[in-house]
Amino acid sequence: MDFLTIILLVYDFISFYFFFFFFLVFFLNKKDFYKYPSFTKPYSLSIVIPCYNEEKNIGETIENLLNSNYKGLKKVIAVDDCSTDNSFKILKALEKKYKRLIVVQTPKNTGCAAGSKNYGVKFAKTELIGFIDGDSFPQKDAIGRMIGFFDNKKIAAVTSFILVKNRINRLTRLQSIEYQIIAFTRRLLGFIEAIYVTPGPLAVYRKSYFDKIGGFDEKNLTEDIEITWHFVSQGYKVAMSPESKVYTVAPTKINAWFKQRIRWNLGGIQTIFKYKTSFLKSGMLGKFILPLFVSSWVLGISGLFVLGYRIFRTVVVRILSTKYSIEAQTAIITLNDIQITPNVLLFFGAITLLLGMMFTLIALMHSREEFKKEKMYEVLIYAFFYLLVYPIVMIRSMYNYLRKKKSW
Amino acid sequence: MLNSPKRAIWEALLLAGVVFFLGFLLGFVFESSQTNKMNEYYLSSEFYLMDAIALNSLVDEGIFDCSSLYNAYSSFADRVYQEAILLQEYESSEQITEEMKIVHRRYDLLRTFLWANILKTSKTCENSPNIVVYLYEYNTEDLVKKATQNVWSKVLLDLKEEQGENILLIPIASDLNIDSLNVIIKNLNISTFPAVVINNNKIINELTSSKDIEKYLN
Repeated sequence: MDFLTIILLVYDFISFYFFFFFFLVFFLNKKDFYKYPSFTKPYSLSIVIPCYNEEKNIGETIENLLNSNYKGLKKVIAVDDCSTDNSFKILKALEKKYKRLIVVQTPKNTGCAAGSKNYGVKFAKTELIGFIDGDSFPQKDAIGRMIGFFDNKKIAAVTSFILVKNRINRLTRLQSIEYQIIAFTRRLLGFIEAIYVTPGPLAVYRKSYFDKIGGFDEKNLTEDIEITWHFVSQGYKVAMSPESKVYTVAPTKINAWFKQRIRWNLGGIQTIFKYKTSFLKSGMLGKFILPLFVSSWVLGISGLFVLGYRIFRTVVVRILSTKYSIEAQTAIITLNDIQITPNVLLFFGAITLLLGMMFTLIALMHSREEFKKEKMYEVLIYAFFYLLVYPIVMIRSMYNYLRKKKSW
Repeated sequence: MLNSPKRAIWEALLLAGVVFFLGFLLGFVFESSQTNKMNEYYLSSEFYLMDAIALNSLVDEGIFDCSSLYNAYSSFADRVYQEAILLQEYESSEQITEEMKIVHRRYDLLRTFLWANILKTSKTCENSPNIVVYLYEYNTEDLVKKATQNVWSKVLLDLKEEQGENILLIPIASDLNIDSLNVIIKNLNISTFPAVVINNNKIINELTSSKDIEKYLN
């Protein structure tokens, strides 16, 4: 058995493991999938909205938030991080209109969402503190459905079901599929206390715990991942409210998408290295979350290299063969060249693909997001093209990390 | 909430292990069945070659004619050539075991045996068909060589289709450590591969089209 075959078999085994794991968690908890606890007391809540050049969306985000039916929402603190557009002016005008809205500005641009979030927290004195991105729109009842989780004293953070608002082109529709799968997966991870991120579009934290760990890490590019790992490493729990839907604006152009994904992955790498000593220790962080992250990196990058190597060799041989065949005036392609012979790798690959498609379809059905309107061919594009780009993002992120290119 | 079973972590491992093992076992059985099939073909081909060699000894005794002997060699070579195509297909699907490589080596030994016997026969029998032996590298990682060999195979296939029984095509891997083959190769002073040996005297190391061979055929 050659080395590449061994790598591919290991790849298949790890893929099988994670698919079976998620299927098992799903089927064991199917009846509880949409369940969330009702709150027994109206915890006081402040929401911080970090804002940097969000003139297009910030007004709608604030009005949407203030429209929430959760009565415990005391303050909305909009933090302008020295925007260079009209965001601050818009916020000041809104402040006059809404009593619960406080608008503050950082003394100088912090250069990251974590900086403005931490700055905004200084103005909050409530039991809970929430965060919403300046381009995200929670449903009216989304926040109220997150609060009941805090009756459990171990809960430090509650995350939401994030979906794409602007499904206006192919790229945003593919991201919409991706967001639904990520949210579905996060819900499943919630059942085993292994949620690894409380994303920026909407998350609520118990303020006393938040203060205790020192808030967000401003050096980390994905402060929402880092803080979640920090909580879990301290023995706190993180939950997900499946019925708290929040819609966010996704990048519409490939450059912006690539830049965003590089940042997410760079932040992921930073967090892995920060918590590397917890590997296989420290409860679910070391025993599941870190191995999950590390194996996804190993799978993504090794998969790309193996696939790239095989494709490279095949393409070179094909090009040369074509050139020589033309020179020799013989057939360029024969039946033997295109014939696919069945083998164990092909068999495992087909099973992995089948499991992947099943998982995708189950996830889309359970996001309750007009699944019928999701065009099936876009699901196929997502599975066969969109996901294949991801290892390239990973490699570029690793390159940036090693070159110390870390910026928003 | 959180009523759930972290046992899924271990159950998934077990399930993945079982599916992987079953798939692996299935793959092993599948590859073994292909090897068995090729072994059966091999045994049958071996029988045909032995029969041809027996006929050769009858030619020496004068009770069998050269033309019929060459026909027997030719039908044997065609048979083995068809089996080589099947062997190539099976080899490309072999991932777990390496048994097919052994079968390939045995086939190459059989083809070398055929070539050596034709060499011997040609000394006593005239009017032999054209013998085209294609020597290639089985274990090469050189992409240029792989592409070259790929095209040479097609050119030789075209030639065989054009010439039919006029040529006896014998493809043999030169790098599978077959001593008898190494002796023949050394004797013919062949050091670079791929190479085509036509009628045991003309060696071609540059093949641009089937015409390069045709001009040396009888």
